[in-house]
Amino acid sequence: MTTAQTSPEVPKLLADRSLPKLPGVYRQHQIIGVAIFAVAACLILPRVVTSLSDQSLMNQWTAYSIAAIGFYWIFGLAGRFAFCQTFMMLLGGYISAWVTRELGPQWFLLGLVAAIAATAVFAALIGLATARTGEFYFAIATLAVTEVGLIVFPKLTSLTGADGQTIGISPPQIGGTVLLTGEDVFWLFIGLLTLVLVVAVLLERSPLRRDAIAARDNGPVARTAGVPVVKTQITLFALGSAAGGLSGAMIGHLTGTISTDSFGLSLSIGIFLMLLLGGSDSYWGPVLGAAFYVVIPQVLTSLQAYETIVYGGLLLVVVILLPHGLIGVGRSVMVTGRHLWQRRTAASS
Amino acid sequence: MSTLISLLASGISLGGVLALVSVGFLLLYKATGVLNFAHGDLVTLGAYVAIWVIAEWGLPSVAAYALALIALFLVGVIVERIAYAPLRKRPPLVAVIATLAAAIMIEGLIAVWQGANPKSLASPVQNVIFTIDGARIPAQEVLIVVAAVVVLAAVLFVFEKTSFGRQVRAMAADPEMAQLNGVAMRTLSMLAFGLSAALACLAGVLIAPLNEVTPTFGFTLMISGFAAAVLGGFGSIGGVILGSIVVGLVQNLLGGYVLQGYAEALPFILMFLVLVVRPEGLLVLKSSRL
Repeated sequence: MTTAQTSPEVPKLLADRSLPKLPGVYRQHQIIGVAIFAVAACLILPRVVTSLSDQSLMNQWTAYSIAAIGFYWIFGLAGRFAFCQTFMMLLGGYISAWVTRELGPQWFLLGLVAAIAATAVFAALIGLATARTGEFYFAIATLAVTEVGLIVFPKLTSLTGADGQTIGISPPQIGGTVLLTGEDVFWLFIGLLTLVLVVAVLLERSPLRRDAIAARDNGPVARTAGVPVVKTQITLFALGSAAGGLSGAMIGHLTGTISTDSFGLSLSIGIFLMLLLGGSDSYWGPVLGAAFYVVIPQVLTSLQAYETIVYGGLLLVVVILLPHGLIGVGRSVMVTGRHLWQRRTAASS
Repeated sequence: MSTLISLLASGISLGGVLALVSVGFLLLYKATGVLNFAHGDLVTLGAYVAIWVIAEWGLPSVAAYALALIALFLVGVIVERIAYAPLRKRPPLVAVIATLAAAIMIEGLIAVWQGANPKSLASPVQNVIFTIDGARIPAQEVLIVVAAVVVLAAVLFVFEKTSFGRQVRAMAADPEMAQLNGVAMRTLSMLAFGLSAALACLAGVLIAPLNEVTPTFGFTLMISGFAAAVLGGFGSIGGVILGSIVVGLVQNLLGGYVLQGYAEALPFILMFLVLVVRPEGLLVLKSSRL
């Protein structure tokens, strides 16, 4: 068990047991994890959540999860602090509402696709324009995009409706079936969330993730080693923004309205909170964080007036005390448990 | 002609306020390497503290301003203790997120304390209006320019000539080396947060009498301040002051004549364009921290 042994023994020892067996990325069974999540959500949630308001919250959770997963790609993986995720949600919402208004409610899926495509293209353009900016400047530039959007959207009345308020968006409709009840919508939304999670898994297993992390942690070295830093970051920015666009479109069709008021700064902070509270180094983090974000106001009903203070305080506490979020807490609990177990079995043998 | 004069006057006075906002912001950035997203809400808080002092204690407006400045210095120190000190050893982006959290906490506290209805702040030169060539110029705008010139000259003096200024510049140039050479990081960062918050407060009480005060007005002002700082290259104080005046004039002249209704969007578009063309800012004299 020691390294002081003669050298020919070392490879054998390494192969044996001196190093813990780290699961390779293909052995982590991520697809199975997503499948279990989807099945469990489909089996449990519709039975537990029955009231109309709770169903609407549950659907909001799936939509927010998708936006937050997008932000995980942008910030967690690519390390770009984009302030414009709510802008992308807003844009996606308007585009999808516009498509179903112009072509008819049966084109709902086309609306979603249009929202995804428009936000991806728009984000790619912004990403290209800001490719040379450092991390703070990127944050400020995307903040500028959001602010300009909040001022300009209400003036594009043919797209966004009077004063930037699109109302009466048609409910989701697939193959002639209109999804009116919260439960019907849930089946669609959990399907969409599962799809996005599958994309997240594929991304997790792709070289893009490795490139992104290298570019995030040490850009100049990554560039020297041949990593296409700019391309990687723009790809993830566009992908994450497209998830934001999808989420915004879903929220629009879920609630029937899209307006600049509900996609302002507090939702931006909400998205940061979802990712950081859940854990910014795993695609499960944003899903968990979004659940908390939706549930907290329900639990703390007496604190309604203090909502922003609570969110701000929570964000502060999370940033200071839980750098890896709730997922990180779970992980360290598991690691400690495993250590204790190993020590016990080692002591007893 | 009279429109031009009054637009110029309000452009320059807005520039003066933006200069106070962005110099406070830059001072903190230089001393600690953190972009303080709570800066705008400190502007708001300053105006509200002054309003509250006048309403509660009936003090004259200048005394209320002075009390607000002291209060905001303390608030700045508190923000440093809560949102920055525990995160000093973490990546700067983490501290930025913490200041963002502090920002919405301050905004929420203001909304609970004062309500969301617009309020107005009294000024010593409330109803005085100068008339130049038919253009009506509120005396408040003149007061803003005078106050901004005096205070910014004082800041420049402190920055260039005093021990505190030397330490801040040393921290900006090389934080590790500065600390090895005996710069007391702890004291310096508390002082920098306090002074920066006091500058924010000054900007707040100066601009507040011209507009109505709402819990979010400072945040908007801060983003214009970002634009000014970016235009000025985020390095030299002189550059940032210049950038502030450019933003103020662009917003008023271009917004007043050509793009009515889009005036508020102009600083952001300008800033975005600058970041696209010159990712290091327009006036980069020395290597800055960004």
